[in-house]
Amino acid sequence: MKNLRNIWIVFKREYISRVKNKTFIIMTFLAPVLIVGFYALSIFIATRDEGGSEQKIMMVTDQSKRLSFGNVGNYNLVGTQINTSSEYNQAQERIDTAALNVKLGIVDAWLIIEDHDLNQLDSATLYAKETPSLIEMESINSFIKQQAKNGNMLKMGIRQSAIDSLEAQGSIALKEIGSSGEIETSSSGLKSGIGFMLAFMIYMFIFVYGASVMRGALEEKTNRIVEVIVSSVKPFHLMMGKILGIAAVGLTQFLAWIVLVIVLGTAGGTLLGKSQLKQISGKAQSAISIDSSFAAAQGSGSEAMALKTGTGNPVANMVEAGGLLDAFQSMPIGRILVVFLMFFIGGYLLYASMFAAIGAAVNQETETQQFMMPITLPLVLGFVIAQTVALKAPNGSTAQLFSMIPFTSPIVMVVRAPFGVPTSEILMSFGILTITFIGMVWLTSKIYRIGILSYGKKPSWRDLWRWLRF
Amino acid sequence: MENPLLIATNIYKKFGDQQVSHNISIQLNKGEIYGLLGPNGAGKTTLIRMLSTITQPDQGEIIFQGKPLQSTDSQFMGYMPEERGLYKKMSVADQLLFFAELRGLSNQEAKAAVKHWLGRLEMLEWSKKKIEEISKGMAQKVQFVSCIMHNPKLLILDEPFSGFDPVNADMIKNLILELKSQGTSILFSTHRMDNVEELCDKIGIIHQGKKVLDGSVSEIRRNAFTGIFEIGFHGVISFEQHPLAAHVVKSTQTNDGRYIYYIQTSESLTMQQLLLQASSLSLPLIHFSEHIPTVHDIFVKTVEVSGDNSQTFSH
Repeated sequence: MKNLRNIWIVFKREYISRVKNKTFIIMTFLAPVLIVGFYALSIFIATRDEGGSEQKIMMVTDQSKRLSFGNVGNYNLVGTQINTSSEYNQAQERIDTAALNVKLGIVDAWLIIEDHDLNQLDSATLYAKETPSLIEMESINSFIKQQAKNGNMLKMGIRQSAIDSLEAQGSIALKEIGSSGEIETSSSGLKSGIGFMLAFMIYMFIFVYGASVMRGALEEKTNRIVEVIVSSVKPFHLMMGKILGIAAVGLTQFLAWIVLVIVLGTAGGTLLGKSQLKQISGKAQSAISIDSSFAAAQGSGSEAMALKTGTGNPVANMVEAGGLLDAFQSMPIGRILVVFLMFFIGGYLLYASMFAAIGAAVNQETETQQFMMPITLPLVLGFVIAQTVALKAPNGSTAQLFSMIPFTSPIVMVVRAPFGVPTSEILMSFGILTITFIGMVWLTSKIYRIGILSYGKKPSWRDLWRWLRF
Repeated sequence: MENPLLIATNIYKKFGDQQVSHNISIQLNKGEIYGLLGPNGAGKTTLIRMLSTITQPDQGEIIFQGKPLQSTDSQFMGYMPEERGLYKKMSVADQLLFFAELRGLSNQEAKAAVKHWLGRLEMLEWSKKKIEEISKGMAQKVQFVSCIMHNPKLLILDEPFSGFDPVNADMIKNLILELKSQGTSILFSTHRMDNVEELCDKIGIIHQGKKVLDGSVSEIRRNAFTGIFEIGFHGVISFEQHPLAAHVVKSTQTNDGRYIYYIQTSESLTMQQLLLQASSLSLPLIHFSEHIPTVHDIFVKTVEVSGDNSQTFSH
């Protein structure tokens, strides 16, 4: 009883002193604003250039006369305006004319399509003053490809209207069939997004709050407060109170964010009008049933989309939005959140106990570096696995393996969670994590116990090993 | 009458290869002040940590209130380590509340105690200030009060007077005496002799991990009496041809103009003989007393005799 009481007193102090802290209050309210602001800014920057003032002008000379510049005019690429005119089309422009125009700055680039086999795109040459960016090259490439294809089709006698109809946009609607036969709308993108977001939160949380545990232990040690405390509290209880107290601070912050998001979301929804939202969603649903044709897959590149100025398909976008809403609603949100919380707490406790031991062992913050590295490495590995393997093959054997290893499972398992992981697998992984956590706390508390009262020289790995065996 | 609160018997403690406590035994009675003296690095802090349940001895027994010392006994103890520290970002009141609760007071009791002590220190208006916002002197008061708020039966202070300004040092001295009068036992370590004589009932001298001397202050001083007497006059005495001349050990002049001569008595010169001869000198005798060494003298002498590496001694 007394032990629990002591943990509670330490817990309370950690919690209250941190939650009362101005930085915490400011960050709790500022972080969502910062994150939203960050995304808003990146979207703004990404979209700003389209049709913007910095547009480059590129001339195209088609010596092959095979491109489908049937409709002479301007084409907009990402940041590049392509001017084709019959004049240039017909003219057998010489290379030096192109070079001169580019040199004088009349145009930014000049593309000459030579009269070779048009299936080979390297039979075209681009003269440019500045090296075009990768994206620019990509869009020019796919533009020419598209025009060549069109030209070929026209030559085969296919009418322009028929070609246009081939371009109709569509997207794959994903329906998952559950074990009991029910069919549900699903979305790989959404699942990856949610899984990755949750894993990222765990990753960040372990880093930020783990470091907080470490600094807390170090502060108590350097301030010599710890000596007074351990005269009434066992080091183990001090460590547990600290770790749990800081975890509660983090959970409070999450809770505050969730409440903020709900409040802001509700406020936003009210502003927009609920009926309006429903209308959009409804339209999207009907659109998906009508638009059964399917042509260019999304994957063929956004450049292709961008090429067709003004023909971007708003209906398709709405279909996407409506589908996402459905897919979101059909996901086992509760289950995902439970998995998230389990691995969030388990992972944090595992790493925080190691951070606490480091904080207790060293004498100043600069000494933490050498110990931090090997401890954070598995965490980073977990994150890399989450980004690559787990998103590509969420139920593959590599993902399965790393979601069993306790040092990476908090991240990898959470990425997999939205894709549906068998309960037995989740429980087994969590069991391993829990056992490892208990073992780790037992080990690190030994280091902690000796570390907090050891002053003087910087401890080495050998010292820590020695302390473990005391 | 002896009424032991704490009895430590044959305590041994080793750090690695270094024996930091070697067969130390001490006893502290209720309402007694015990001064643990010793040069820096003598092993005082190690002993104090064992007595305050922070660490355990390798060998030996510590009895507290008639039973072997347990970690739960810490709620009857107050402890102020040599290196002081408080949570800098925490308010004065929260800090005190935390320590009081750690020492076993309920939340209600702790709040009342915090209010009482902040009132006594005249710091009520500072209670919401963070430690980093108040003066060092005030922080020192907070530190000291944090270890006595729960009315400990035993107060353990490691070098309580170091780092305190004279005003605060006096405040602490008075609080120590007040606690003593209420029956609290106090054990403090120091390597400075100021205050020891006026505060301590008992002292123990530790050197190189061993206890080299202990007992009541008066007893120790009496034992250290070497037969030297002091005689004093208003003016200089010429001992020429006088039989006392051979026995004068040294002489000093006090600020008020008195001259004190230190005379070694022995079988050939008893105290009575000295007194007779002194009263026959050219000036009237105004001071006659035994010369009993101060604790400081005893300490320096003991450490010098018992230890070869006297360079560890610092003042």
